[in-house]
Amino acid sequence: MISEEQQDQAALYVLGLLEPREAAAFESELNANAELRDIARELREAAGTVALTVPPQPPPASLKRRIMREIAIKTEEPTPIPQERVRFGWIPWAIAAALAVFCGLLALDRVRLERELADIRGSDPLMQTTFYTLAPSAPAPADAKATVAWQPGRQSGVIRISNLPAAQPGKDYQLWAVDAEHKDPISAGIIRVDQNGVAQVRFKPVEKAEHVKVFAISLEREGGVPKKEGPILLVGTT
Amino acid sequence: MAETSTAQQMRDQEMIAQIGRRDQDAFSALYDRLSGPLYSLAFKMLGDASDAQDALQEVFVQIWSRASTYDPEKSSVFSWAVLLTRSRAIDRLRARDRRLRVVVESTAENKVAEATDASTVESAADTANKKDEAAHVRSLLNNLPEDQRQAIELAFFGHRTHHEIAAQLGQPLGTVKARIRRGLLKLREQFRT
Repeated sequence: MISEEQQDQAALYVLGLLEPREAAAFESELNANAELRDIARELREAAGTVALTVPPQPPPASLKRRIMREIAIKTEEPTPIPQERVRFGWIPWAIAAALAVFCGLLALDRVRLERELADIRGSDPLMQTTFYTLAPSAPAPADAKATVAWQPGRQSGVIRISNLPAAQPGKDYQLWAVDAEHKDPISAGIIRVDQNGVAQVRFKPVEKAEHVKVFAISLEREGGVPKKEGPILLVGTT
Repeated sequence: MAETSTAQQMRDQEMIAQIGRRDQDAFSALYDRLSGPLYSLAFKMLGDASDAQDALQEVFVQIWSRASTYDPEKSSVFSWAVLLTRSRAIDRLRARDRRLRVVVESTAENKVAEATDASTVESAADTANKKDEAAHVRSLLNNLPEDQRQAIELAFFGHRTHHEIAAQLGQPLGTVKARIRRGLLKLREQFRT
């Protein structure tokens, strides 16, 4: 018997919406459960059906010629010439030994490179920054947008907003960080846009947010609220 | 429905088997059958003709090179190709987002290029049939409860994670997951009847 939770995971899995770790766990479950595989297949077919809702747009004929040319080239690519059978059985062993030595050297080199990379990351603020692109949702104008540059190590960031009209009197825009470790979104402060619909503001969430998945902007009462109440206007992830 | 009937699915599987044996005629036939809906999907997601063509080229090259790995137990050829196309389109949208981040200053919206080309191979009758089919499936989608339809559209066409969709709809994650699953299964059921 398949639980509703397993079915939900199956829907997200076929749409590629699970995190890599979740997807790997679900795949193990899938391998062991034929009924779950049937549900996943049904959901894949349903996803295929969704594509049929799109208004038809015929591709240009030139595209087919381009693609046929590319696969013809791929077909003509020379296949590796089979090597003459080696008479001496010791050669593969010698190659294996050489490879083992080479892998050892590579491992040492990797450790050195990782150390260097860690040093660079530590010294370059840009390397410690994660970027989020926020897109408008229903109540916001379609051309409104925002970009967040977030430094988890410093627990601070910068947001730039454009094309968002000033909030009406008695209201304010509020920024939220949706963190994997917190049940509710964490407030990252009030943001006021200028008469051109632009704002560039440095912010700090009110609580520690180490695993921010999403930033969002909502319309709230003037002065902001401790817990999100109003509609989301802009939302986005990395 | 022509796209996914059992007979059509069997013909598709046969074509894929031939493509696995490097049969360019079979590849050409499969292209003729699938390129319309796949291109339409890429165009809707990317909003740009040139990007949609590049995405479709990647998808068909992938079909050519991975035909032998296609597993009929997992999905029909059509759904497999749809999910490949969606995945390539999402990769392109993400790359576009990354470029946007580099230039933080707002850029002009991508212009939607001319949708059709004078050299198109499709006849007016084919186009009309496909429009009817799309209208029919769209009506099935519109028959779903509003909350399920909205969740499916955001999950399928918008490259949003379930966390983002939950945030955008202001709903708990569990509710959003259930809406996507229920909506998809209901759509499938309606499509079959």
